[in-house]
Amino acid sequence: MQLHFAVASTIFQNVFSLYKSMLNEIKININGKWLDAHYDPVANLYTFSSCIVLADLHGDGENKLVVGDLGTGSSNMKLKVYRGTGLMSENTLLDLPTGLVSFLMDQHEPRTPAIAVASGPYIYVYKNLRPYFKFTLPPLEVNALEQDVWNQAREDMIDPLSLKEMLDSIRDKADVPLSVRSLRFLMLDPQDMEAFVNLYKEQPIRRQTVITCISTLKKNMADEDAVSCLVIGTESKDVYILDPEAFTVLTKMSLPSAPTQMDVTGQFDVEFRITVACRNGNIYVLRRESPKPKYCIELSSHPVGLVRIGKNVVVGCAQETLQGFTQKGKKLWTVCLPAPVTTMSVMDLPTRGFQAVLVGLANSEVHLYRDKNLISTIKTPDIVTSICFGRYGREDGTLIMTTKGGGLIVKILKRTAVFDDRDSAPGPPLAQSIRLNVPKKTKLYVDQTMRERENSVAMHRAFQMDLSRLRLAAARAYVKALESSLTPMSSSLSEPLRMNAVVQGLGPSFKLTLNIQNTAVCRPVMNLAISFLYDESLYSMKTAFFKIPLLVPGLNYPIDTFVECLSDKGISDIIKVFVLREGKSAPLLTAHINMPVSEGLALN
Amino acid sequence: MLRFLPDPLLVASEPKKGRAPKAPELPIPERKNWLIHLHYIRKDYETCKDIIKEQLQETRGMCEYAIYVQALILRLEGQIQQSLELFQSCAILNPANPDNLKQVARSLFLLGKHKAAIEVYHEAGKLNDEDWEVHHNLGVCYSVIKDYKNVCVVSQAEEQLNAALQLNKQDRTFLTLGKVHLLSRDTDKAVDVYKAAVEFSPENTELLTTLGLLYLQLGKYQKAFEHLGNALTFDPSNYKAILAAGSMMQTHGDFDVAMNKYRVAACVVPESPPLWNNIGMCFFSKKKYVAAISCLKRAHYLSPFDWKVLYNLGLVHLTMQQYASAFHFLSAATNLQPRLGELYMLLAVALTNLEDLDNARRSYEQAVALDHSNPLVNLNFAILLYNHGDKKGALQQYQEIERKVNMLKDSNTEFDSELMDMAQKMATALQVGESLVWTKPAKDTKFKQGSAGVPIKTLGSSQQPLGTNQALEQAMSSAAGYNRSITPRVSLSQPKRSSVPLAESSGLENPPAVPGDASGTPRPEESDTPDTLPPLAAKPKVKSKSRQELN
Repeated sequence: MQLHFAVASTIFQNVFSLYKSMLNEIKININGKWLDAHYDPVANLYTFSSCIVLADLHGDGENKLVVGDLGTGSSNMKLKVYRGTGLMSENTLLDLPTGLVSFLMDQHEPRTPAIAVASGPYIYVYKNLRPYFKFTLPPLEVNALEQDVWNQAREDMIDPLSLKEMLDSIRDKADVPLSVRSLRFLMLDPQDMEAFVNLYKEQPIRRQTVITCISTLKKNMADEDAVSCLVIGTESKDVYILDPEAFTVLTKMSLPSAPTQMDVTGQFDVEFRITVACRNGNIYVLRRESPKPKYCIELSSHPVGLVRIGKNVVVGCAQETLQGFTQKGKKLWTVCLPAPVTTMSVMDLPTRGFQAVLVGLANSEVHLYRDKNLISTIKTPDIVTSICFGRYGREDGTLIMTTKGGGLIVKILKRTAVFDDRDSAPGPPLAQSIRLNVPKKTKLYVDQTMRERENSVAMHRAFQMDLSRLRLAAARAYVKALESSLTPMSSSLSEPLRMNAVVQGLGPSFKLTLNIQNTAVCRPVMNLAISFLYDESLYSMKTAFFKIPLLVPGLNYPIDTFVECLSDKGISDIIKVFVLREGKSAPLLTAHINMPVSEGLALN
Repeated sequence: MLRFLPDPLLVASEPKKGRAPKAPELPIPERKNWLIHLHYIRKDYETCKDIIKEQLQETRGMCEYAIYVQALILRLEGQIQQSLELFQSCAILNPANPDNLKQVARSLFLLGKHKAAIEVYHEAGKLNDEDWEVHHNLGVCYSVIKDYKNVCVVSQAEEQLNAALQLNKQDRTFLTLGKVHLLSRDTDKAVDVYKAAVEFSPENTELLTTLGLLYLQLGKYQKAFEHLGNALTFDPSNYKAILAAGSMMQTHGDFDVAMNKYRVAACVVPESPPLWNNIGMCFFSKKKYVAAISCLKRAHYLSPFDWKVLYNLGLVHLTMQQYASAFHFLSAATNLQPRLGELYMLLAVALTNLEDLDNARRSYEQAVALDHSNPLVNLNFAILLYNHGDKKGALQQYQEIERKVNMLKDSNTEFDSELMDMAQKMATALQVGESLVWTKPAKDTKFKQGSAGVPIKTLGSSQQPLGTNQALEQAMSSAAGYNRSITPRVSLSQPKRSSVPLAESSGLENPPAVPGDASGTPRPEESDTPDTLPPLAAKPKVKSKSRQELN
């Protein structure tokens, strides 16, 4: 019976602890709004938000994750496709991917989107993950003079040196910059020029620019699966809109600075709006039928992230702020962030009518803002470098993040998660309820206070008396020092000297270095001698008296001598140094050297 | 499977149909600019530097943007001279880009070569005149040349900053323009600028605080409090605003609320001497003298050469009847600030109590010579003289008191009743007859007895009694509104406290707009509390003495 009971109780305990751990788990889950679906810290991804896209590549209703991986930053660039938690396919890219978008290029069934990868001056279009088309940016205008010069070079009418001269003069004046070839040619050493000209003179001159950002714009319908145009921003400060089927340039618009990222809304045939963040720290708004920007937002620091929510633009600035603007560039609000922004993305849940901004921060957090209100914070194991929110697999609310260390994080928004839109107006700060750190006074202090109250007059008089005595003593000591030339500077006008002494060594022998300097402007000092006074039972010196050479003004004269300590009892004494003038008994300078205790024993 | 073939031009040259060998494609120098920029704005400078290095090797130093960013990073790391050289080489690579010139000028500015910077900015302005940044920075350059007497330079600074504001409104520009106005002692214009700035960005706490402090300086307490309160709602731990608002509350007698605010500030800036000074004076007003001494001593430790702290320490020790200690603090204060009459008066009070009459008298003489408006100095001196039999001298001082009081009456100042009583007693003792000077104001105004703050020193006629100002009461209580949970009785009973004229401290002599200058924040506590104490200390003697004499 007893035994039974014991067993029963252990079982009960086990069950209870299990239940408790379950409870804990539930508690954690209640607190979080996200389910951790997948975390691979060594996914080896080097990418940015512009190079991540979720798309239903095969038309099977299951969204894949397409990532343009920058590899090492110079090699091993890949186009990676993830399905679920695993890598599905990998395509090698020839150059660094700048941006990556998925778009529907035609009306054909099945409606599977194509992937466009921008890199360098090209856009590589993949269909069904197979290379399909390569678009090259239209070349830039070439300087006519440069063209002429190279034509002459081709016909061997000018030698490389005069070619260089002519190109140099073109470079300094021209409105149209030189091509890469000419610039490279100008950097060459004279002996390499000939070969370079021969190699390149047959080639036509080209000036190519590169793509800096890419996005899509619906052609003429607002539907989810409507055909989209590609919108690309280039280093030459232009924005091109490409026809999705023929890949011809539909519109070209120019900006005052190179674009870094953009947000596109509307339809090409109706009305559209391209919000472009530029490298000069400004944001421009481009619209249909206007080749120049319509509005301009001048920020006080560089925009790191640019996201549009409804009709407002939300910008994350390098100065650790998040700012909201209207479409026309009027500032709405500013929020200070706890750390620099690394990336931004929009979190759009159309089924719930929920839109918010995800902001990745350098303190390994992702903040979720709706307007200026912080509604949720996600802690991540590493600094997040890219964020993408959308439908992954068959799950609508999936958050995909990659980290600085190359990790891949996938989180799923719980269906029960509610983001309450509390006002962020802060209550009284916590610090207000912290007690002031005012030190308590001791009983001794109180006693002393009482004593002072009773005897303040006596205390004051005693103090004044002692003060007068102190002053007197100080004055006397000073006079004495002046009289016996104890100061380190000699006060006499004819021999303005400065001396300091250094003792080196552990003992029993010490090296004594006296640094003597004549501080006069131009007069040298002659006929000086140095003498030492010391306890002869403690110390011995080879020469306790020697002459000093002529002292040239301004120079430092180190004079060395050696002192032997005779005692082994660990005692030390003062050695006095006198600087004397021939024929005078009073010293010019006196120095007292406190000798250190000898730490070694003399070998006999 | 299909593959994108590498661009034919990228593939190494191979002979083709007898033509000349194909030349390898030259890499575009700008091809990694976007990547450099991306890392730069994310403050990932290490990776950025690696990419720049690679890019510069590939292009043999031709990539303008890479050099540009390299220079920016160098400047952030403090190597300004190197960054200047790199920006200059950028400007050589592309002389048409105003950004390069702007950065050259910026580096010059940081190196302290303001005149050179101005020249380069003008160059940049020629390339693009519509750039607010150029105008703003020109304004900053002109304003730091430190030649405020030179009207030309100041007006140029103003002109440039206004031009910048017209092109684009930025908080920075407003702040600089306001500062320029303040430095050329044009407070009204500065207020206008800050007003416009606050209108443009109503949530900028720095602007709000600066404007609040300016109003405080001008004596517009209600507006000052409004703006400081606003600043505190947007940033409850704004040190400057807390200190200013706290000192206003302190003047107003709201010590608990002030302490609440100070607690926040003490967490943010735990080593601020003015803060601990004010906290100390809060304790003092609440009659917690030991705590007051602790706080003041901390303030003194943090800023040993601040005479205001020493003044307050002297005052507290006088109250504690520790005259010997008080003497030390006060004499240290007089060494640091030899031009304040009240300081000598306190010193004299200490000396009187230490029975050092010769020095006390000397100190009073000094005080009387330095002070021009405070009748208290003369009163205390008169008492001393009278107590030691110098009736003639006392009479002379008494006449001086009357003169000062009459002068102050014109400016609507109210007097402490204790001072009145004392002066009346003095008058009877000296047999000057019934003086009409005292009776009138005493009837007109209600006086509050015994409380700590009875200031007499005033700065001008524009001052209004704070306590009677209903609107300010409201402002104060609304600003303090969210404190209600902690101190539910945010003294709304204040109107009863009445007629405490604001005596602004010498803290206002410093322009409060200088950012980060802690001493710019007013500490009114210092000038209003001290004045009560000397008469308290001296009074009993007068009473007893005068009776003896009369008998």
